[in-house]
Amino acid sequence: MTDIASPATGRPALSGVVGRLPEYLMIWVPLLLSAAHLISFSLWTIWISFTPSTLVPVTGWVGMRNYTAVLASRNWQIAFDNLLLFGSAFVLLSLVTGLMLAILLDQRIRGENVLRSIFLYPLAVSFVVTGTVWSWLLNPGIGIQKLVHDLGWTSFRFDWLVDRDMAIWTIVIAAIWQSSGFAMALFLAGLRSVDADIIKAAQIDGAGPVRTYWRVILPTLWPITITVIVVQLQFAISAFDLVRALTNGGPGIATQLPALVVYDLMFQRSQLGRGAAAAVLMLLILLAVLLPYAAWRYVQRRRATHA
Amino acid sequence: MPITTTRRRLLAGSVAALALPSFARAQSAVKPRLTAISQWSAGSDGAAITALGKKFEEKGGVWQHSPVPGFTTEMMNKLRAQIIAGDPPACSQLKGPEIAAWSKIAPTVDLDAIVAAAGYEKVVAPDLAKLHKPGGKWIALPLQIYSTNMLFLSKRAMDKAKTDKIPVTWADFNDLAEKMKSGGITYPIANGGTRPDDGQKFEASLAGISPAAYRAAIMNLDKKALEGPEIKAAFVQVRRISEWMDPNVGAQPYATNLKRFIDGEMGMMIQGGWAQGVLRNAGFKFDDFIIVPGPSDNGKPVFLLNADAFIFWQRKEPDLQAGQTLMAQLVMDPAIQTMYSQITGSIPVRTDVDLSGEGWSDGQRRTAAALKDAVANNQAVLSLAHNMAQENGLTAAMIDVLTEYVKNKTIKPEQAVTRLAEAVEGAR
Repeated sequence: MTDIASPATGRPALSGVVGRLPEYLMIWVPLLLSAAHLISFSLWTIWISFTPSTLVPVTGWVGMRNYTAVLASRNWQIAFDNLLLFGSAFVLLSLVTGLMLAILLDQRIRGENVLRSIFLYPLAVSFVVTGTVWSWLLNPGIGIQKLVHDLGWTSFRFDWLVDRDMAIWTIVIAAIWQSSGFAMALFLAGLRSVDADIIKAAQIDGAGPVRTYWRVILPTLWPITITVIVVQLQFAISAFDLVRALTNGGPGIATQLPALVVYDLMFQRSQLGRGAAAAVLMLLILLAVLLPYAAWRYVQRRRATHA
Repeated sequence: MPITTTRRRLLAGSVAALALPSFARAQSAVKPRLTAISQWSAGSDGAAITALGKKFEEKGGVWQHSPVPGFTTEMMNKLRAQIIAGDPPACSQLKGPEIAAWSKIAPTVDLDAIVAAAGYEKVVAPDLAKLHKPGGKWIALPLQIYSTNMLFLSKRAMDKAKTDKIPVTWADFNDLAEKMKSGGITYPIANGGTRPDDGQKFEASLAGISPAAYRAAIMNLDKKALEGPEIKAAFVQVRRISEWMDPNVGAQPYATNLKRFIDGEMGMMIQGGWAQGVLRNAGFKFDDFIIVPGPSDNGKPVFLLNADAFIFWQRKEPDLQAGQTLMAQLVMDPAIQTMYSQITGSIPVRTDVDLSGEGWSDGQRRTAAALKDAVANNQAVLSLAHNMAQENGLTAAMIDVLTEYVKNKTIKPEQAVTRLAEAVEGAR
């Protein structure tokens, strides 16, 4: 909290309010605009999800029919199962990869800046580019498998992209490549902010580097861990462009994800009502992640102020 | 003051009388302008519509075409946005049952008078005409026809298989594929793996096994026919096709394999006539491949109709209205249809165009003959994979099942039959 008005001066003078007017304008106008934007369109989508809209939005009321249709469809069921698998695998693996990279970079090595940029760089690439490049690399006919075959190891197989059981893992691979740098950056910042005295105290007590990390440093990182988890989870739930470029939901419909189903229903099948229902279901999944996080933050802050 | 009013009215009347002829003259002298959207941006499709635009300009019109590359649905998103904004294009690509569906959300132009003046109705296949006059009035005009189940044979692959017997039935087709395989061709089938491509494999199989079952199950969604033995037989055939394909094709378009097909590394392709345009546009020669009607178990050609069309949206601007009239006349013109089909590899909608002359391929002549035969034998049916048989929502639900079946070889034909019937039920 960097509150400028100190409580000791009591009520701020009028000139103070005028002086801070630009500040208020800068913060509140965009905030209100985007909140209104977000809320009005969310409400609009919720409304559409209860109407019989197909090609264009229409009024009318069909109750839960769009929801039952979406929930009963194979596409949605596959998408939901994939989301559970993709979400947990991606979040967990990117967390572990990011943490490992951060710990390795934290060893006061030479060229740290260069390495950090390299690991962070994929984040600057758009998901469509990531998806397209990986779709080439992972295609057994032209990518890694062909390279290894050409090198002489002809029995080598790496055809996950066209294997319907493994295709979802290609998305996990590409997503980790893209965003573990982000986890690394946050963890690195966390590692650097650990009080040097604590580490020294641990060393004096005779703890080795592994023990120091495991028992002393890592426990201080858990607020960052939760932030990383929440950010990555909301990415996983809304993942669209990466999948569209990499597998486009295929082979067949094996790598469907909720966002793809929404797009498909709305813009490929001209079923706006059902698409809106699927979008609202996605919103509910997101809320299931974000509300506990918000509650946790609230509790944390209260505890901090009370202490 | 009655007198003043009268005088004023008189004055106004005479001004109007003076202005009227010049207004009429201005209207007839207005330069026809056409705003059009379509998905045709590149390759032979792009070349064809650009040539059509040139003709439009030669007739004194202003041609404003905005292509939206991708599948038809991508074009529809732009169309939807423009209609909701109250600014539809004067003319847009649209086809099949979508013409009826979309005509309910925005007013269209009544083309009856122009169609009658051109005597067009007499030269269009009746089933096709019906799709373009949903409320009994012509609101859209078909431009070109493809059959989605043409069989493309690679000459070099035929040499490797040491045969020149053209397959007629599915049994012949399967024989030839086996021969190609023993002739050293690892993947006798050169198809791609996109959704429409997977749908085509199924519709070609079913229509070739029984056009009557296709009509009942796919076009009329008859529940009994959907669970009938022909559907299962079609899935069995699709499985054989999928086993002769390169598994690495993933979701790539068929065009990826064209070179391997021509080189004889792959042997056959079940594709629409547009593949001829793409092959020609890529520089391959007519000597490299043969196009014949797709396999049909009763020996008579089966024609899976796919027709591209333009729908005309109501506009108030006189120049756009003049442009719509000019465009309609051009689309119905036999010379324009000839020009267009010769570029894209389709056949003209008009049944009175002579295809014996220069510029037509044997494949196109065979396609046109197949259409005539198929119509006579009631074996011309509407393509599912290319959105001619059902509206988008139903089509997509059915293609979900088909594409999953092609990609997932553990699904049994019986399971696929049940899933297809369930998908239809769920999407209705």
